[in-house]
Amino acid sequence: MYPWSSSSYGGQIPSAANVRTMPNGLDDQEKLLAEAIGLARKQAFQMNHFLDKERMLDSLKCASTMLGELRTSVLSPKSYYELYMAVTNELCHLELYLSEKIDKKTDLYELVQYSHTIVPRLYLLITVGIVYIKNDPTLKRSILKDLVEMCRGVQHPLRGLFLRNYLLQCTRNILPDVMVEENEHEGNVYDAIDFVLTNFAEMNKLWVRMQHQGHSSEKTRREKEREELKILVGTNLVRLSQLESATLEIYQRLILPGILEQVVSCRDAIAQEYLMECIIQVFPDEFHLKTLDPFLKSCAQLETGVNVKNIIISLIERLAAYNQRSGKTSGNAIDAIIPAEVELFEVFSVQVANIVQTRMDMPLEDTISLQVALLSLAQKVYPDRVDYVDKVLGTTAQILQRMNMNNISHLLSVNQELSRLLRICIDFYNNALTIIQLQNFCPLLEKFDYTSRKSLALYLVMNILDNETLVPTADQADSLLTIITPLIKDDDTNKENGAAAGNTTPDAEEFAEEQGVVARFIHLMRSDEPDMQYKMLQTARKHLGNGGGQRLKHVLPPLVFAAYQLAFKYKAIAEQDENWDKKCQKIVQYCHSTISALAKADLADLALRLYLQGALVIGEIGYTNHETVAYEFMTQAFSLYEDEISDSKAQLAAITLIMSTFEQMSCFGEENAEPLRTNCALAASKLLKKPDQCRGVVACAALFWSGKQNGEEMRDEKRTLDCLKKGARIASQCLDTGVQVQLYVELLNHYLFYFERGNSLITVAMLNQLIAKVNEELPNLEPSEETKQIESHYKNTLAHIRSRMESNDSSLEVSFAGITLN
Amino acid sequence: MSGRKKSLLKVIILGDSSVGKTSLMNQYVNKRFSNQYKATIGADFCTKEVVVNDRVVTMQIWDTAGQERFQSLGVAFYRGADCCVLVYDVTAPNSFKNLDSWRDEFLIQASPRDPDHFPFVVLGNKVDLDNRQVSTRRAQQWCQSKNDIPYYETSAKEGINVEMAFQVIAKNALELEAEAEVINDFPDQITLGSQNNRPGNPDNCQC
Repeated sequence: MYPWSSSSYGGQIPSAANVRTMPNGLDDQEKLLAEAIGLARKQAFQMNHFLDKERMLDSLKCASTMLGELRTSVLSPKSYYELYMAVTNELCHLELYLSEKIDKKTDLYELVQYSHTIVPRLYLLITVGIVYIKNDPTLKRSILKDLVEMCRGVQHPLRGLFLRNYLLQCTRNILPDVMVEENEHEGNVYDAIDFVLTNFAEMNKLWVRMQHQGHSSEKTRREKEREELKILVGTNLVRLSQLESATLEIYQRLILPGILEQVVSCRDAIAQEYLMECIIQVFPDEFHLKTLDPFLKSCAQLETGVNVKNIIISLIERLAAYNQRSGKTSGNAIDAIIPAEVELFEVFSVQVANIVQTRMDMPLEDTISLQVALLSLAQKVYPDRVDYVDKVLGTTAQILQRMNMNNISHLLSVNQELSRLLRICIDFYNNALTIIQLQNFCPLLEKFDYTSRKSLALYLVMNILDNETLVPTADQADSLLTIITPLIKDDDTNKENGAAAGNTTPDAEEFAEEQGVVARFIHLMRSDEPDMQYKMLQTARKHLGNGGGQRLKHVLPPLVFAAYQLAFKYKAIAEQDENWDKKCQKIVQYCHSTISALAKADLADLALRLYLQGALVIGEIGYTNHETVAYEFMTQAFSLYEDEISDSKAQLAAITLIMSTFEQMSCFGEENAEPLRTNCALAASKLLKKPDQCRGVVACAALFWSGKQNGEEMRDEKRTLDCLKKGARIASQCLDTGVQVQLYVELLNHYLFYFERGNSLITVAMLNQLIAKVNEELPNLEPSEETKQIESHYKNTLAHIRSRMESNDSSLEVSFAGITLN
Repeated sequence: MSGRKKSLLKVIILGDSSVGKTSLMNQYVNKRFSNQYKATIGADFCTKEVVVNDRVVTMQIWDTAGQERFQSLGVAFYRGADCCVLVYDVTAPNSFKNLDSWRDEFLIQASPRDPDHFPFVVLGNKVDLDNRQVSTRRAQQWCQSKNDIPYYETSAKEGINVEMAFQVIAKNALELEAEAEVINDFPDQITLGSQNNRPGNPDNCQC
């Protein structure tokens, strides 16, 4: 009888009492784990003690007892892992000892097989087997074969997985890793591959079996435990990837097929998803590039529960990163690292299409996610191939078409995924001019509901503004304006939805901001060639003209100003372009019709200002018939003033603006100037409120003084003074004393203005008269903020006069002598 | 007592994904480097015999997964470590920033007896590359602020400083091990018949 069987070493048979089920509580786990580790440590200590004493049989006995702790059924995977780590750490000491003391006279490999329970027996067998192999490499092949087969003896999933993991760990450095062995008994890389693939298949079966053990009510816990254990199975693939003698050809012919066969045939979603991910992560990119077809075809055969999207996206991202990383390493960031013969995009494109077709159960958003991943691949690996990006967009549009997906609501998750697809395009190129090269961008955009299209339109315009992308041609402008249509006009469905929701007015501030973005975009439509610039303005006008009054007021003014600038540009190149004259006429007509549109949209104030601006521009450019056209613009402004502006404050502002504009212009002959002048004076005198009348009439004085007559300032002293006198008369008719005094102070300033500029009809007596009036009335005003302002204004005026009186400035033409200041 | 001395040193290599942990171990143990990138799944160790202070010891070098999703069973293997190597990539500032987390995580999980003096070594890898972004000075300052952790700049690819770094690692690990041996000389009290007190468990199979 072998010494191993001596009764003095026999273990106590556990008592049948104290029945326990698997404890779930963390405290229970910690207690059980601590107990198991404590017992293991005691045995380990004794084992080491016996090793020190060179008592091998006793130490093996203790080792076996220590390993008996691994027979437990009450530990969770993580707890078992801790126990396993503690125990196998001690086995390392045993291995070290045995390596030093190996003696052929003692048949340890056979001896440990007499351990009376299989788990300890196999751990010891592995430990001793490794020692034997290290001592005599010619035993490698046979012992490895023996060990991997022996482990079949443990079919309990948890114990079996850890046992085989121990086998993998111990054989890490001794698997044969040569193509041709020196001694056939030592084995070659094919033996190593066979060893690991066998171990892998067995581990995967153990792992999958967990899914089917126990009550269905514990399914969630079982799956959680399986998730924890997955790296044990994955370690087999790591081992295969570490075989340096395993060439690409061997990987293609043996390793990958062997793995995939096991993966597909196990028909377990958890295992399949994890193992496919492992393949992607642990094998080099060079291998993946050459095995895309079989790998991707396997994806189509996976269980319905497998998230194939994640697998493919992971592979795509990995290869894209490989391309970038390799490019950086080689110092040449431009050249692609992906070999030209590997048509990566084409392969993925075709295979993704197959998978989508095969896996009918895939959710639409997952399908779109795959397209997003393809897009990312195209951009990272083939940044210059705009056609690849376009193809992805086209494929996506087709998918939606087949499913009759239209007007996709912004509330759906598929919408978010699709939006991401388009935003990635915009962000990647940061160039709207490239976006419009994508033939399928618009068709895909058409699939969205109004809200989403508007959001994407805004996103694109913001990108244009952020990158200051200049749009140089009319065709490009046309394309971009087509894309951003939702910002330019309302959709029919949008109106219906708005009406249904009872929300007819979007947030005014938000809307204005949004339209402001469009307006800023218009200024980026800029060509160096004036003729092209004009075409662009025409194109833009067509797009922007139908958005309704709320939009027109934001987006048409930029067009008008851009047109005015263009007219100046034509003027500047007059000598090189004999047709500049006609072109300016057309531009001015363009402006006229555009401003008319604003007027028709009840935006009279805005239109009036633009007409006045136009008059200034036209007068300055001086092309043929410019006087007539400028007169027309002024007339239009006057018409708006008379017909559309009724608010008295607005009226005063408008007439002041008209007079100011006219005062600046010098292109009018007298037959046109006189009616304008007269009408200004008449309009001013017709203002409803006395103070407005007064101010209007006084402002009119400038027309007779610095306003132009046949190109020169009129300097009409009499009519200038007439305006001032009329103003004074109107002021005296104001019943409100405060207002009256304020007007007198303002009048005094106007009198001084023209007095200083040499209007000889304005006398010191007149000035004194005004000053006397103010002095008489000012003390009677009620104290108020307005009164303070009037006093301040008056004080400053008197200070001005005093400084003039004391001045020795010889350039001053008039004398301030005689002015009474008190 | 003339007992046999323990001659196994356990070293853990930690750091972000793809900083070069596995490559450093391969360069040191096998004198090999591969440009191919292969992610590490789980924890894996290599052993190598080294001579430290005229003494032959076996180093058990644990290579780890830098990505959390590849460490699903936890980090029980941290326990009993004699030295911890923290690796970052000099071209990846984020990997340097994360050294704090790796160090803290290790100290929490491994629970060494004297956390303040546990031996760490920091390796700044990939110094062969041109686009360096973490300066030597900055790394040295961080190491000094953590109880003067030894710092080496390495290239697993070109073998720069790898041998030297691991010599220091082995030496520091051995010093810790020497201290531990004193404590281990006083074993736990052996309770005879302790197995009789253990609750029986019929769920255990007889295999």
